[in-house]
Amino acid sequence: MYDLRLSLTQGSYLDQTELLNAVSSIDHADWITATEPRLILPTLVDASSAAQSVIVPGRLIGTDTGSAQTRVNDLYITGGHGLEGEPADAPVAVLEHKFAAFYELPPQGDIRLSGDRSLRYVGTGLSPEYFVVFTDEGGMMAEANFAVVFLSLQTAQTLVERPGMVNDVLFTLAADADSDTLRAELAVAVDELANVGASFMVPQDDPAYNMLYEDIAKDELFWRAMAYLFLAGAVFGAFNLATRLVEAQRREIGIQMALGVMPRWIAIRPLLVAVQIAVLGVVFGLIIGVFVGDAFGDLLQTMMPLPISLQPFQPRIFLEAAALGIALPLLATLFPVLRALRVEPVDAIRTGHLVAKGGGFAPLLARRASSRVLTWMPLRNLLCAPRRALLTLLGIAAAITLLVLIMGMLDSFAVTLDQARVELLQANPERMLVQLNFFYPENSPIIANISQSPVVSGADASLKLGGYMIHDDTTVETLLDMVDMTSTLWRPSLASGSYPGERPGVLISAIAARDLGVQPGDTITLRHPQRTGLLSYGWAESEVEVSGIHPLPLRFQTYMDFRQAEMMGLAGLVNALQVTPAPGVTQDQVQQALFDQFGVASVQPVSAVIRVFEDLIGEFVAIFSVMQVAAVILAVLIAYNSTSINIDERRRDMATMFAFGTRVRTALRVEIVEHLLTSIFGTALGCVLGFAFLVVLLTQVFDVVIPDIEMTITVQPLTLLVALVIGVLVAVLTPILNLRKLIGMDIPSTLRVME
Amino acid sequence: MENRTGIRHSIIELEQISKRYRMGDVGVAALDNVSLCVAPGEFLVVLGPSGSGKTTLLNLIGALDTASSGDICIAGQNITRMNRAQRFRYRREMVSFIFQSFNLFPGLSALDNVQFGVESAERKPNGMTAREMLERVGLDHRLHHFPHQLSGGEQQRVAIARALATGNPILLADEPTGELDFKTGIQILELLHEQSHLDKTVIIVTHNREIARVADRVVELSSGHIVRDGVPDNHKTAIADLSWEEARDETMAIVDALVLARLASAMAAGRGDCADHRARHRHLQRTHQHVPLAAAVE
Repeated sequence: MYDLRLSLTQGSYLDQTELLNAVSSIDHADWITATEPRLILPTLVDASSAAQSVIVPGRLIGTDTGSAQTRVNDLYITGGHGLEGEPADAPVAVLEHKFAAFYELPPQGDIRLSGDRSLRYVGTGLSPEYFVVFTDEGGMMAEANFAVVFLSLQTAQTLVERPGMVNDVLFTLAADADSDTLRAELAVAVDELANVGASFMVPQDDPAYNMLYEDIAKDELFWRAMAYLFLAGAVFGAFNLATRLVEAQRREIGIQMALGVMPRWIAIRPLLVAVQIAVLGVVFGLIIGVFVGDAFGDLLQTMMPLPISLQPFQPRIFLEAAALGIALPLLATLFPVLRALRVEPVDAIRTGHLVAKGGGFAPLLARRASSRVLTWMPLRNLLCAPRRALLTLLGIAAAITLLVLIMGMLDSFAVTLDQARVELLQANPERMLVQLNFFYPENSPIIANISQSPVVSGADASLKLGGYMIHDDTTVETLLDMVDMTSTLWRPSLASGSYPGERPGVLISAIAARDLGVQPGDTITLRHPQRTGLLSYGWAESEVEVSGIHPLPLRFQTYMDFRQAEMMGLAGLVNALQVTPAPGVTQDQVQQALFDQFGVASVQPVSAVIRVFEDLIGEFVAIFSVMQVAAVILAVLIAYNSTSINIDERRRDMATMFAFGTRVRTALRVEIVEHLLTSIFGTALGCVLGFAFLVVLLTQVFDVVIPDIEMTITVQPLTLLVALVIGVLVAVLTPILNLRKLIGMDIPSTLRVME
Repeated sequence: MENRTGIRHSIIELEQISKRYRMGDVGVAALDNVSLCVAPGEFLVVLGPSGSGKTTLLNLIGALDTASSGDICIAGQNITRMNRAQRFRYRREMVSFIFQSFNLFPGLSALDNVQFGVESAERKPNGMTAREMLERVGLDHRLHHFPHQLSGGEQQRVAIARALATGNPILLADEPTGELDFKTGIQILELLHEQSHLDKTVIIVTHNREIARVADRVVELSSGHIVRDGVPDNHKTAIADLSWEEARDETMAIVDALVLARLASAMAAGRGDCADHRARHRHLQRTHQHVPLAAAVE
């Protein structure tokens, strides 16, 4: 992959030879070991076949396929063959692998490009810049909606009628090269050459590289947070279990203490049980971990195929997990063991009525009129043993917390997407975006052909530009959409502030406003392209007012009034349009009709833009859906475990009731109501804690992982309902599942053994 | 309860009852061909050492357990042929249990524990409320106390009140004084004995021979067989008819008579401090001059 990338300002092109000469003339040209000039242009790719219709926006990447000196980014061929053996001007290409794989295209075939140009692709391949496919709009893993076509530089220049022109250069640098110095020298060289602006990227600025290498630490932070939450739930379950195991051994411990056994020897037995549970759990967990790790590796390899993908066994991670898996249950057991050892032996070995402990909070209801005892018994039981009730309640709460957290994340994704959908569609859901491959005069035939096409009922000219917003020391990269703010077709909504007036103003996202520390009425610096010639654009900075905040939850999205394009020297020019299909015309028909128009780079419904956002968070949604299932299972297990232990602890009361002829169904009802009360409180607590963790996770962790999206933190009523249903189901089902135990209870033995 | 011919009907009839358990590969007979009849209002004590089968007998009568063979008829109903639901109903309507360790519900007050008895029988016991039941056992001042706030004797009184509250005709008590001191135990026995005068059939299982003295009838079990069935040995004066003080005096007289006999034996053999022996002997004789010590010893 490149060490340094130079991109000319949007819309600028330079002669290939002149540019390379300028590059070789800089002071430290010897630091550059390879130079790859490229021509990159947006396009629309039609890969439709008889079986399916595939028309997506994409990118043409013309690159020199000659000597090694001009090869920086390798193309790893996954099907067919590369361009090396083909003549430089042959109308052939290599199709990006993920796009081809997504639509199951053959390794060789024909595609059409916008402007009615045909091309044969001779192979499919992977390029480092597209190991993860990103779109200009920030879409991630967007292979379904974005096609990259690699072809020879000469072929690209011919196709887009820019002979000899390039707009992008990749460099490989010597080990001792200073890229900052080179950047400065190259910027001056380009500017001197044609008064053209240039931007530079190092691999760390590349979104694909970032995601694969730089974001790993952030991703790991997120997954670790999730893993620790799962672990916390499991540890709490272990603590609950251990506490009750130790309590069940209270008498044995007391006898040993009375016999003078040293406390440390007494502690060993329950601790050994904990070790046994921990070791078995760890072994089981590690085996599952290996399988899940492999499955995840395969999943990732499918989602993000790489030329070389190694999944070595990671002893450090597994050792860490094993250490935690053994240490935490041990610690969870240690506390109740130490607590048991603090009890006086005489208290521990007592039997019969002398065992009777305090009545907890039961006296609160002591003077309530006595009638329908069995109706009130569940509440009284809970009040009588608050610690036991609390442990059960917390066990359920831990499970529900996890569930609400996972489902809350999915809810937050869904609501965030809905917000984006509502904003982008508004009252015109059929709206489509047409992107042009260059800036064209508003009154040019190209624009007229589109706006006056019979398939279109309305069209608004607009400009799409890249840029930066700067305030104090903070810079936010932005995608500037210059649209008609008085349009009836579509205009951004206002969350706060007002539409820009006569003075240059922008509508920015709430998250950008927060990052920049500004609010409506403040002024920021906008770094934007500035037209300097027919095919040349430089960078300029202008002070603009933050007129308002739009509700789209994307940090980089900024809107400006189309009429203020003069600020960029772009008055009267257009590089995008928003159109509405004519009555009775489908979006597909518009796409087909405009595909052949010269200058059209892409035509896509606005709903397709939403799909880009969906893709952006789709990866998380898919994985969370799996985690959701795991959370539900864990929730049910923890809750079942806690409730089941509780039932065991109530066996003596049950036996007494049965001795008095209380029907099993009546006893079961008492059990169910008791667990229902615990579950409802546990579920309520779990919902509150789940929401609290959700807020922390999304504000503290997710902000780092996906900083461009402002999540609307929410827990949907359905999630709460699912949590409640699970809580209630467990409360109802656990006693029912234990019904066999109740029915088969040896009443005399239970009454005696419990003594 | 007598019929026209003057023969008392049995409320409890056990016919050739056996109960066998399996302990690993070994079969153990807890009860072996036991036959027994108990009349209504009878106060029966089942005596026997540990493992003699007395608790098994109680559990069978209470339908907590099922017999391996034989028949048990309670008020004319053969409970050995009852299904599970019928046995539950039988327990609701016919028997009430009093346990050694009381088994009160810890989350319920004394009043509510007794109210449980009222409600579990699904009928009003002689029109008496739970409160009245507790008054009857002398706990009207402890109505709203919880088990952990009551002494052992008070807890057992609550347990008795709970059993009485059911209004069921048979009370089954398994070592009811096992966890109580002597004095409290006597009080509890008095309370239970009163119930037999109120037409309750009371069966007490115990290994304490002193308790047998208060019974109308004693059945002694050994290794699953009835080895004795009759009135208590010293039933010349039914101890249950005595007041607490009288019962205590008589019990102490028995102890003192045994001491006298040992002192006499020691003096005759010339063992120990004979002067001291003589002094103690005279003191005991003076103390019990109005009590037929010889009869007590006999």
